[in-house]
Amino acid sequence: MKAVIADIKPMAAHDGPGIRTTVFFKGCPLRCLWCHNPETLSSRPQLAYYAHKCINCMECVAVCPQKAHTFRDGVHIFHRERCTGCGACQRVCLGEALRLYGEEVTVDSLLPRLLRDKPFYDSSGGGVTLSGGECLMQADFCRELLKALKQEGIHTAVDTCGFVPRQALEKVAEFTDLFLYDLKAFDPQVHIACTGQDNGLILENLQYLDSLGKAIEIRIPYVPGHNHRQPELLEPVIRGLSHVTHTEILPYHNYAGSKYEALGLKNTLPEALPTKEQTDALQARFL
Amino acid sequence: MLNAQDRFFIERKYHDPEQPFNPFRRRAYHGIGYREDSGLDDAQLLAGLKALEPELEGLPHPIARAKAIAYMLENTRVYINEHDYFVGLYSLDRLADSVTFKKWANESKQLRDPELVCLSDTFNNCGAVMIWTDYDHVVPDWRSLMELGFPGILARSEAYREAHRKAGTLTGEADAFFEGIRLEYAAVLQLLDRMYQIASRETFPKAERIAISLSHLRDGAPQDFFDALQLIYVYFIVSECIDSYQVRSLGNGLDGTLYPFYQDALTKGLYTRQEMREFLSYFLFQWSAIGNYWGQPFYLGGTGETGESLYNELSLEILEVYDRLEIYNPKIQLKINENTPKWLLEKAFDLLRRKNASLVFCCEPGMIRAVMGYGATYEEARTMDIRGCYETGVRANEVCSTSGYVNAAKAVEYVFTNGYDRMVQAQVGLQTGSLQSMVSFEDFYRAFLRQWDHLIQKSMEITDDAERFLSYVNPSSLYSGTIEYSLNRGKDAYGGGVKFSNNGMLNCGFASAVDSVLAVKEFVYDRQAISLAELAEVLENNWETQPLLRLKVQKSPHKYGNGDALADTYAQAMAAWFACRVNNKPNSHGGVYKAILHSARAFVVQGEKTGALPDGRLAGQELSKNASPVPGMDKSGVTALVRSAAGLDPTLYHESFCLDVMLHPSAVAGENGNAVLEGILMAYLRQNGQSIQFNIFNPETLRDAQKNPEKYKNLQVRVCGWNTLWNNMSRKEQDAYILRSENVQ
Repeated sequence: MKAVIADIKPMAAHDGPGIRTTVFFKGCPLRCLWCHNPETLSSRPQLAYYAHKCINCMECVAVCPQKAHTFRDGVHIFHRERCTGCGACQRVCLGEALRLYGEEVTVDSLLPRLLRDKPFYDSSGGGVTLSGGECLMQADFCRELLKALKQEGIHTAVDTCGFVPRQALEKVAEFTDLFLYDLKAFDPQVHIACTGQDNGLILENLQYLDSLGKAIEIRIPYVPGHNHRQPELLEPVIRGLSHVTHTEILPYHNYAGSKYEALGLKNTLPEALPTKEQTDALQARFL
Repeated sequence: MLNAQDRFFIERKYHDPEQPFNPFRRRAYHGIGYREDSGLDDAQLLAGLKALEPELEGLPHPIARAKAIAYMLENTRVYINEHDYFVGLYSLDRLADSVTFKKWANESKQLRDPELVCLSDTFNNCGAVMIWTDYDHVVPDWRSLMELGFPGILARSEAYREAHRKAGTLTGEADAFFEGIRLEYAAVLQLLDRMYQIASRETFPKAERIAISLSHLRDGAPQDFFDALQLIYVYFIVSECIDSYQVRSLGNGLDGTLYPFYQDALTKGLYTRQEMREFLSYFLFQWSAIGNYWGQPFYLGGTGETGESLYNELSLEILEVYDRLEIYNPKIQLKINENTPKWLLEKAFDLLRRKNASLVFCCEPGMIRAVMGYGATYEEARTMDIRGCYETGVRANEVCSTSGYVNAAKAVEYVFTNGYDRMVQAQVGLQTGSLQSMVSFEDFYRAFLRQWDHLIQKSMEITDDAERFLSYVNPSSLYSGTIEYSLNRGKDAYGGGVKFSNNGMLNCGFASAVDSVLAVKEFVYDRQAISLAELAEVLENNWETQPLLRLKVQKSPHKYGNGDALADTYAQAMAAWFACRVNNKPNSHGGVYKAILHSARAFVVQGEKTGALPDGRLAGQELSKNASPVPGMDKSGVTALVRSAAGLDPTLYHESFCLDVMLHPSAVAGENGNAVLEGILMAYLRQNGQSIQFNIFNPETLRDAQKNPEKYKNLQVRVCGWNTLWNNMSRKEQDAYILRSENVQ
């Protein structure tokens, strides 16, 4: 069984307790306007080209089998439509301007990479987090991976947007110690406007996970002008659950702009940033 | 706590902070508040010493030295001040050396092997090895000092002298040794009395406390908590500034040494906690005011006889006071073990996260194994002192001078130049043959190890030759007086009179050498992108003709510090190779050599003198420091770095091994931050790491600090074994620092 991942981040400190390694899976059913991991939206490998880092070394030209890189008058032209995401150019790019998001992995190839930091998980109460994108779009793979991690005695967390079939949750729940569950809006219309999808399934799935007795950490991005008042409206829903260990307000940031550009995607990032006071006040409601 | 007005005065006790200050010449300045009528100024003292010189002529060195020191203690101006609980000496610049130490050091040069003396100068000039005699790492037996006081130390020494006389073992040399101790301690007692007479006539509020402590110390052992602090300070300042031995730990564990006094004060109601906090604040602030570049170290905690943690409420009190003082000097080493209490770790992490405090975490399991590696028993290792930056040492029975900073990167350079050094335009390394003759990587690697070994062996020869004269040049009467083992043997501690009379040898530029060797392997031999001879030309012109190749080399994953299998394998082999060439080799004074994997400031100084390297480093740039990777080359995160470093087998470094870890503030923010720090620390400890230090910085802050130094007057960073103000670093050092911080976002 194979999966496509965008990245593996060691020393992740914000995806569950302790020191963790987070695996970012490719593919997401939502299209949140503020998404700061646009490289995970598509389930296919994608080459990002950071034009400002290109030093015109032209190493990519020689290795690309698709002739996706050309140079004219000292300007690097990336023909995205020709790129198949093989990654050959990334390996030779001297300016670190080319970066392939998308690596095909198996449980057997991934597991040793995740086990390397076991001493750090053990000494910090950490473990491995599956994230994305939406990792549960590849739920069968996640189940196998989580099962293998549990066999190694590793704490596991799954970061999900909840917009997945119930069966996907059923598949992984057994081997998941903690769910990081993202909520964006209470009002379905607001949710559709922000993410392109209704939130009915998300709220139902949340109730389902709670009924299983799984530890859940709720994460609510706060994006002024888009999901205004929504964290407050979600509060009673969260209070009605029995197994929520913590609710975290995630202040929106716009650091991801260069990634949209590099991936040739339309930048949908909102402009307005939350103030610290706004975030703190919201967070205080959930303490 | 230290009040603002007193703080203002103590800040000026050693030098004027408003004036330009060179921390390497810290003793050459004068402070304010000294009593002009209490003694002579520098010029008068130097004249007096000059007049004394004929009388010293022909005397055994311990006696001559003690007489010169006694002259200083009798005549220097002193400081009894309404703004301070602690006394002071006006002339700090080791003036007695002018008629003793300096003269004898010159004499010893004449007695040494002239070729080795010459080679030593060449090594220092070209940056291949920094080498000098080291009197800067003593830790006296504070327990003896606390139990006996200055008079008791003197009496014990005299008792041993008498015992030797009776046993017929009091040779002329031994008698001179004891006489040196007698004269020097008698002079200390006389100084205490002189200061007592002044203090007892004063009426300011602190005078009574000062006078009582001086009378206690003059007459016997310290009686209470404050006496103990005053004793540490007096010993320190006399040793550091008059006796020319830098004291590199306050207390054998400051908390351990002071705790009996602390408990006693509380039980008997002598002092309240608040009063003792106040004494501690004045005490700690002395070293902030002195401003030693390297930082004044002391350590806390440890493990007791039955495996219990030795941290106590005073440990926390010391950290609290340190926190409230907002100072970065002294620097504090924390002995860490599985038994270390949570509250101690939480306090330490809090200090790190809030203010990048000057803390080093010293992991006992790895350090104990390292110390046992040169023959210490478990008990000796368990109770070891941490000296200097983070060096180990058997308590009250080890002298270890760090004698050679061997530049591994220079050994790489010498393979390319056939041993010729362009910096000094002379043959310094071995002739390992033409580059054309190195047809395989094995040939190159062998040549590199031969060059490296040449520097190690020659450094040992120089050290062995020079160190025959350690106690000849600087008899250590003050220090030896505290060491019972020396008294028993009737021998100066620096002349072989301790059980462990050792030398440390430093492996400098380690990661630079590892990455360079691997770059040659990959690009010259495996990929054949360039010939060795062509690479030699590229290096000679500082990579200017091959900028793309340089980028390719830098992009290669085979860099130490990233968990890369090939790089780690070579790093492990090279680290072990150096340690095996050094460890337990006999020195010239009955001890052995100990390997060190840290580099003090050599990474800057030697970097300036080292040409371009195959790993892409340009001529003159910094080398890697300690067990850390080349700046900017640790791209795989902290866990990979710790795995690489711990994989070197830190316990092979019998004297010390230190890893620097750079963290972004967001990695350790919030509730999970302590778990992250604890996770890194304990994972390192469990893999037998020795010392580890954390820097928590955002590169944007550092870049802003570079642009707007005036906004960041108090920004401090950890450089090697010490903290320094950001604004005191050179632009080049700042750049390297920022480079490393950029990889941790």
